[in-house]
Amino acid sequence: MATSKTNRKFDKVLVANRGEIAVRIIQGLKEMGLGTVAVYSEADRTALHVLMADEAVFIGESPATESYLVADRILAAAAETAAGAIHPGYGFLAENGPFSRQVEEAGLIFIGPTAESMEVMGDKLASRRKMRSSGIPVVPGTDEAVTDPEVAVGIAEKIGYPVLLKASAGGGGKGMRIVRESGEMASALRQTMGEARSAFGNDAIFVEKYIEDPKHIEVQVLGDGLGNVIHVFERECSVQRRHQKVIEESPSPSLTPELRMRICEAAVQTAEAIDYRGAGTVEFILAPDGEFYFLEMNTRLQVEHPVTEMVTGTDLVHAMVKIALGEGICYRQEDLRQQGWALEFRLYAEDPGKNFAPSIGRIESMTVPQGPGVRLDTGVYEGYDVPIHYDPMLAKLIVWGEDRQQAIARSRRVLREFTLHGPGHNLPFHLWALEQPSFLDGSYTTHFVENEFDPADWLPKLDDGQAEALVAATALFEALRRSGVKAGTEGRDCSPRNWRLNALRSMTGNK
Amino acid sequence: MKKRYILNYDDNQHGAIVARDGAETMVQVDGGDLTQVNFRPVLNGKAISIRFGGRLHLIHLSNADGNGSVKATISGRPVSLTVMDELRAQALESLGDVTESGTIAADIPGLVVQIKVTVGQVVHKGEPVIVVEAMKMQNELAASTSGTVIEIPVTEGDSVNPGDPLVIIEPEPGV
Repeated sequence: MATSKTNRKFDKVLVANRGEIAVRIIQGLKEMGLGTVAVYSEADRTALHVLMADEAVFIGESPATESYLVADRILAAAAETAAGAIHPGYGFLAENGPFSRQVEEAGLIFIGPTAESMEVMGDKLASRRKMRSSGIPVVPGTDEAVTDPEVAVGIAEKIGYPVLLKASAGGGGKGMRIVRESGEMASALRQTMGEARSAFGNDAIFVEKYIEDPKHIEVQVLGDGLGNVIHVFERECSVQRRHQKVIEESPSPSLTPELRMRICEAAVQTAEAIDYRGAGTVEFILAPDGEFYFLEMNTRLQVEHPVTEMVTGTDLVHAMVKIALGEGICYRQEDLRQQGWALEFRLYAEDPGKNFAPSIGRIESMTVPQGPGVRLDTGVYEGYDVPIHYDPMLAKLIVWGEDRQQAIARSRRVLREFTLHGPGHNLPFHLWALEQPSFLDGSYTTHFVENEFDPADWLPKLDDGQAEALVAATALFEALRRSGVKAGTEGRDCSPRNWRLNALRSMTGNK
Repeated sequence: MKKRYILNYDDNQHGAIVARDGAETMVQVDGGDLTQVNFRPVLNGKAISIRFGGRLHLIHLSNADGNGSVKATISGRPVSLTVMDELRAQALESLGDVTESGTIAADIPGLVVQIKVTVGQVVHKGEPVIVVEAMKMQNELAASTSGTVIEIPVTEGDSVNPGDPLVIIEPEPGV
């Protein structure tokens, strides 16, 4: 597993991803003076990551299964461009053990952990056993399959109700059932087993303590693959919809300094237990009583890594590349500290009022706010057509402030300045979140959206003056547009440029 | 020159009059005073800066379909509006109530993954009839009206675009 420091050199990196993360990685590589290769599918011919890279290689049709998920195409693209390393980003092949093995076997460097690390952490039960044996707290429960209700009741009484029955082969919230007292156990167990059998073809059920009102806390770690690991503090990601994070922040408002120290130390131990190499994230559940439990480890760069970068002044992409080059971890634990507060808002093309259903279309106009403490990691631009084939995340807005209060106030300012016309999007959802008492006082849990969000009443209200101005402006806009068309332009040309010329002509004299 | 408009958004209807006299522009909203407004197109024509009611507002506007659908954003709040001139609004009104359409159409491009009904089947309003997948999400589309399925112009596996009819139902209010 230990790699020599001499043969891990490369000067060109292929980024096996798309969207904002491919852009982010290409930016980091350019800053380090490295050559960059993008790969793209049919739908991504004019995507931002393709426009930014030094070279770009076409790898297949639009569905990810015919392009971004095809290891052979990506390796062929690397060979064709003589790239020496591959950065997988997140998603797609980022946590695919066989792929990273293939990369290394082809004589290339995989900028990430070893296949062994991915495989241990990719298996929920294997990682649970590994962590338990390494002294990391895991959610109390059993690792053995249960079929007998009496055995299940025995376990539940030992760990205390409520408990969660969980299909071992389950995922995505399926095959789970909460049991609050022994009388419910027999039927709950029978139903969960039936569900598991039909959904996953496997009726093995496990009993775990159900943590009510949990918070999602995760810790960024960096390892050199030789047993050295540091942490880059925590992030809190409890604002979720459909088990997917929407807003993340660092530091977490839920940790005392003492708890922060313990949870970060547990994350370091977790990574040390597998001689972790590269950037990774150890996720924990934090219970209201202050106990925390290992959930899983993500063996990749995380979507929300920028909040960590903003509060610690680090660059995790640079750090990953240096580790891959065999230069070790470029930060010392004692030099790292959290300064200020950062919030990340994921910009999704979706309609929050319609159960967050995805939306697509051309980005007709986009005005990106600026000012102190503002960062936008984006994969889109004005005129870009959001394709249907991939995740609807368009960009991430990251806002830094000297403290949480300032970060929130600044976020409101920035979200009010941010304008996106084209697909439906969730920017106003973020403005909504920033008005909720449980978000403001930091007490929000992973049930925040389901408990607080009312799809019929969530849009920010316009005051009377704004509503009047809106009507006046829209009527003017329409009057100008129509007069522009009448002024002899061909057909229905009403492009903004044309409209503007006409508007300026007719409005001379206005201040 | 005077133009009257009817604007709709969020279930609200507003009337506006835009009058131009040489370099001066006057606007009247919802029967208020006809007042001179200071405004200018800004940000390369993407927004209007307007002083109204003693305050300055920056309102982003774009014409979504070239036909009276306008998208606006004011202070981070997106608003979809329809704008009609008064004549058109009156013409539409005189047509009377239109029966609810029985055509279920795609609202976003995607792939038809499951058709849950067959031609001749009686369905009830709100009942799921077809599943379209886009961006890794399965979207179940429901019957917009109760009635009998008379046509299904697509098959499973078809790619569809916004506006494409997927399931056509003959409305039968009594069903």
